[in-house]
Amino acid sequence: MIFRTTNSRTRPTIRKVRTGTALRPLRHRLDPARVEEIPFRAGDGVRLGLTRIDSGEQDRPAVLLLHGHTASADMFLLPETRNLVDVLLDDGYEPWLLDWRGSCRLPYNETGQRYTYDDVALYDIPEAVSRIRERIGDRPLFVVAHCIGSLTLSLSMTAGLVPGLAGVVSQGVFLTPKLAGRTSLRMTVAGELLKNRIDHIPVDFRKVGLRSKYTPLFALASRGAGCPDPTCQILHNSAWGSGASLFLHENLSEATHDRLAELLGPAPLWILPHLRRIELARSVVRWHDTDHRYRALPPNALDAAARIDTPVLLLAGSENGLWLDSQRLCHEVLAHRQPQLDVSYTEIPAYGHLDTFLGRGAALDVFGHILEFLAERR
Amino acid sequence: MREVNEDAAAHAGQRATGEAIERGDGGPSVEALLARIRQAPTATPTPTATGTDRKSGVGTDAGARADTSTPRVGEDADADAGKTAVPSGAVVDVGAPAVSSGAGADVAPPGAGTDLYANAPTVPFGAGAGAGTGVGGGGDTGTGTDRGAGALPALAVSAAPAAPAPDADGLAAVVAAAAGPFVPGGQLSPDTDFFDAGGTSVGAVELVAALEDELGMEIDLDEVFADARPRSLALRWLVTAGATAALSAAGAPATPTAAGTPAPAADTIGTAPAPGTFPFPVPAAAHGFSPAPAPGFRPALAPASSPAPATDTPSIPSPRIPSGATVTARTTGAGTPYATARPEDLDQILADLSLADRLPWTGSPEPLPPRRILLTGATGFLGSHLLLDLLRHSDAHVHCLVRAADEEAATARLGEALKSHRLPWSSEIRRRVTVLPGDIRRPHLGLSDDVWNKLAHEVDSVVGVAAAVDFLRGYQSLRQSNVIGALTLAELAATGPPKPLHHISSIAVFNEVGIASMGEDDPLAHVDRLVAGYDQTKWAAEVALRRARDHGLIVTAMRPGGIGGHTRTGAHNPQDLSSGLISAFGRFRTVPAFHCLNAAPVDWVSRVAAGVICEPDAWGFDYNLTGVPNTLDDVVRDMAYGGMHVRVQDWDEWRTDALARLEADPVPELGFLTRVLRSPTALKLCEATLKGPAATGERTAALVEALGLRPAARYDAQAQLRTFERLARDGLARLPDKGDQPYLWFSETTEGDVGPVGGGADTPCSMALTLSIASMYQLVKERRVDVGGELVCAAAHPAPLLVEHGDVWIRPEEGIPQRHGMRHQLLRYRLTLRDADGGRWWLEGHKYARARRDVWRQTRALNVEIGREGEPASFAGELVVPADSYVRDQIDGIKVDPRLTGREKRVAKLTWLAWFGAEMGRGLLGPFTRAAADLLDLRRTRTPSERPR
Repeated sequence: MIFRTTNSRTRPTIRKVRTGTALRPLRHRLDPARVEEIPFRAGDGVRLGLTRIDSGEQDRPAVLLLHGHTASADMFLLPETRNLVDVLLDDGYEPWLLDWRGSCRLPYNETGQRYTYDDVALYDIPEAVSRIRERIGDRPLFVVAHCIGSLTLSLSMTAGLVPGLAGVVSQGVFLTPKLAGRTSLRMTVAGELLKNRIDHIPVDFRKVGLRSKYTPLFALASRGAGCPDPTCQILHNSAWGSGASLFLHENLSEATHDRLAELLGPAPLWILPHLRRIELARSVVRWHDTDHRYRALPPNALDAAARIDTPVLLLAGSENGLWLDSQRLCHEVLAHRQPQLDVSYTEIPAYGHLDTFLGRGAALDVFGHILEFLAERR
Repeated sequence: MREVNEDAAAHAGQRATGEAIERGDGGPSVEALLARIRQAPTATPTPTATGTDRKSGVGTDAGARADTSTPRVGEDADADAGKTAVPSGAVVDVGAPAVSSGAGADVAPPGAGTDLYANAPTVPFGAGAGAGTGVGGGGDTGTGTDRGAGALPALAVSAAPAAPAPDADGLAAVVAAAAGPFVPGGQLSPDTDFFDAGGTSVGAVELVAALEDELGMEIDLDEVFADARPRSLALRWLVTAGATAALSAAGAPATPTAAGTPAPAADTIGTAPAPGTFPFPVPAAAHGFSPAPAPGFRPALAPASSPAPATDTPSIPSPRIPSGATVTARTTGAGTPYATARPEDLDQILADLSLADRLPWTGSPEPLPPRRILLTGATGFLGSHLLLDLLRHSDAHVHCLVRAADEEAATARLGEALKSHRLPWSSEIRRRVTVLPGDIRRPHLGLSDDVWNKLAHEVDSVVGVAAAVDFLRGYQSLRQSNVIGALTLAELAATGPPKPLHHISSIAVFNEVGIASMGEDDPLAHVDRLVAGYDQTKWAAEVALRRARDHGLIVTAMRPGGIGGHTRTGAHNPQDLSSGLISAFGRFRTVPAFHCLNAAPVDWVSRVAAGVICEPDAWGFDYNLTGVPNTLDDVVRDMAYGGMHVRVQDWDEWRTDALARLEADPVPELGFLTRVLRSPTALKLCEATLKGPAATGERTAALVEALGLRPAARYDAQAQLRTFERLARDGLARLPDKGDQPYLWFSETTEGDVGPVGGGADTPCSMALTLSIASMYQLVKERRVDVGGELVCAAAHPAPLLVEHGDVWIRPEEGIPQRHGMRHQLLRYRLTLRDADGGRWWLEGHKYARARRDVWRQTRALNVEIGREGEPASFAGELVVPADSYVRDQIDGIKVDPRLTGREKRVAKLTWLAWFGAEMGRGLLGPFTRAAADLLDLRRTRTPSERPR
């Protein structure tokens, strides 16, 4: 059970939470001069991060990389392994990195300035795409998206907000999110029990300390875990308490494993209702039914899938412990309902969810598929 | 057997003689011996006469073949053994009459393979050929040393055809030309092994037929598998076919040159390298052809003590050299054929082992994870997976030795191989791989001296995976790849800075029928009881590398057992024996009673191998990469779990049965299995595999734990599933389908009304369907049930419409609503119907789950649309399963395949009900959870209570 902490006087039980909107600096091993941070605010005034990696050439196709929720652009720039940005640069592309409002480089997950995935689909992605288009002109623009980045991108695409992309690589989940029943149940129960007590689930034990109201969460997450690191436990063994697994442990390099707390941030609880609605419908649905500011978004993205105007590559690790075989399902559903779309599906054997980008062998096993897809359409 | 005891006595004398000859001093002089040989035929007039009679007479029976030389051998043995003449003579005589009498009486001779000669039209085959097939094992259970007898008789036989040596060259060329079309290159040089040149087992069968049709040469298929160099085939044929005539003609054979050099060298008239270059006691030499002088192993890099090949000869103690030449002529013992190795192979093995003695001395390598690895066999099944694992789990750059003409072709070949094994091949992999065109069978791996030296100095780890895996071919045919290749890698590892050598051996080194245990440090099999060439080569390679350890080389031997398909991708080796066996088990629904299968999936084997290679503390030991063995019970249960109930048969019964079925109804993809089941040597290998004990691997298990790798798990049904699917797709295995006897079926009746689309439903309509599944696999993977039966709908046609093809999908697309809303799909029916007039119709039906209280009706009500083929729906309506018939038909009325036992039937029924019930439950629950979530979303959420903002 989670205890209330309001009567504790002897020491502050609550850690300091970042409130400024300054982006945490990126960690990479590129020449700093080649990394251009572009000031960028979304249409509703939320400050976001947009980064362009300068390749020294002006005629390369651009590739926008979208991270997952609570991750950040850092996940494509891991200095310790061969990362996607390296591979794209070597293969003649110009990588662009968007930190949308769910990034852990931004404070919004922790400070309770709430949003739903509708905001991401309506503001963050379309505006980033048009900002990039201002810079690249009519060069082709691809998008490689991971997890919630990909899910919200599907909503933007079916709303027709990002027309004319040259190709989209979607990792983990796209139009048909599917969670294990157990994960879904735990998510709901935990969310309902905790939502009036805490507003986010931290992942870094060093920042909350041993004696805190989060300790029982960490303790629960450690049940049956093979790794003693609490951060790893709450991510790998429990995916923020939901009981799913975010990656295959053996696929991460040791350096990445030790940096997990930096790569993935706290997960807000107030996003759960939208996530739950999406998951139970087994399709991406809009949260705001009555708010007309969001009417550009379709009520159900799967029904509007005919608006997708670009080739899509669905990627998924065969052992994805969070979204299971959502991508295979998505491929099956789209092949049946929208046979005119150019959608292909590639399963990556022996990979989980996050390790398709963070894994030490990702360049060998995953990025080849991405390059192949991009090369056919550049 | 009687011979065994007698051999000891007989060979004592023979060995003395043989050794004496080798020493070149003492004992009878060569001339004296030769003189004795010349006398030999005349000394045994009776058998020879018989033989000659037959030959000159009709010459059609097998007796002629056996007779021509066997008795002579007996005599020879007598002659040179001198003191022990009687028992020795007895030994051979026992065999010889057996064969000749058997053949004479037109009864199939005892030795397998010999019956093939029974049809020999005109050409008499010599006993040499008979022995060459390996049937000679009969009385030869002793160790190598007891085979001293033979040098001389062999000389006698071989010397004869030596005279017409130019003929042999010509014939070899003819044979090579005939074999050309059956190899990929279209050309075969007389000294190249047919299989090494890319010939296949099927090609070998065709080659034998072609030789017989076009050249009138009758060669046994097993002969070809044992040693498939055209020259050796030609010479063997010459020897056996022409032995009688030639022997008498060869009054003064060229053998005096043999003085002072080992006998085999002497036999290799002309075709041999300088005498003693490699004093290989090649048994084949007994027949007068070249003794495979290990071209892959360049003695130039041998230690200073033996810089030049010629001087090597004396330094190698090879007391058995003459023996190899001897026993070739031995014919089938009356007893157990193929119980032991062919003596000539044993001699070759011993010679090959001695090659390890010329490795340079070397020090210990730096105990650091490798940075540059040389990998052979990267295009193979295990090798390609290991390449990827090495790249993934180390930072090393990998040099892959690939057999191809040039680098471009080699790169293309590697890429094709990786893709065919469902592994990635992208620029990211190419940037960490260097492809070297080369060949492990050739000296210095077929690399130029520059490249070789560069490799020797740059590479810091050598990994040998390449091997010729063929259970039909003999030692001679495989040794170049599997033994000499391994030694060449050892040479590379010992040259320049010391490097560890990681050798992929095989559990086949234990593949002796009746071996007690197969632990990592247990003694290997008795090599003389290894019959299959593959087993022999793996044994020889590992033993040779053990010797290399004495030179300071760090050698790791990793012994996989059966390597099963990848648990995730299903990539498998279609020509692998275990693939064939699994496919046959599934097709015939029978398994032979094996003890346990030492098999592990390729992903685990390759991951552990990569772990060993990258962990210096793990170097230098032996590992059994066999995983957790599958017992017979496990396999039977796994297959039943997949809905394939198998019956267990005795091995012999199974083999006969499976072979008969494969012959009656050939499956091209399983052709190799048919050939294996026909080959006496390969059968021995299978028998040893199936009856052997469980391999244990404590060291491997400890290492796996220390490195934090995935512990070995049994290669169970779940792990094999992908592989089995791929096997089925490739045509080896077969998944149960609609045409088979259903696994389980029941009937379903529905009644209701339909009417024109948009109009009122007023026409009564009913369906009587039979729902069936062919296997649980179909249900779990495809979530599909087959449907047959009829539809009565007066609106469409007055007569009933017959279901031509029908499927029901359970919770299709995970129940995702077809349109935004709460109507989740529960079942989907799709039927193709034909009316009595031949008109074709379609029916599409759906059962939906909704958040409403009529749950019981939701499971029964089917919304249907009916239309003519190619047209939109003309009728729509609702058909409902009557509540009273539901339980009666669909629970009580379930029928199960009558061939199953009562217990299996109950299990089948319960499994179906449990699975279907769970699926329906999940489907029905979906809309209710969504409704509940909508309620929860109304809960008030307080402003977050976390204070400092």
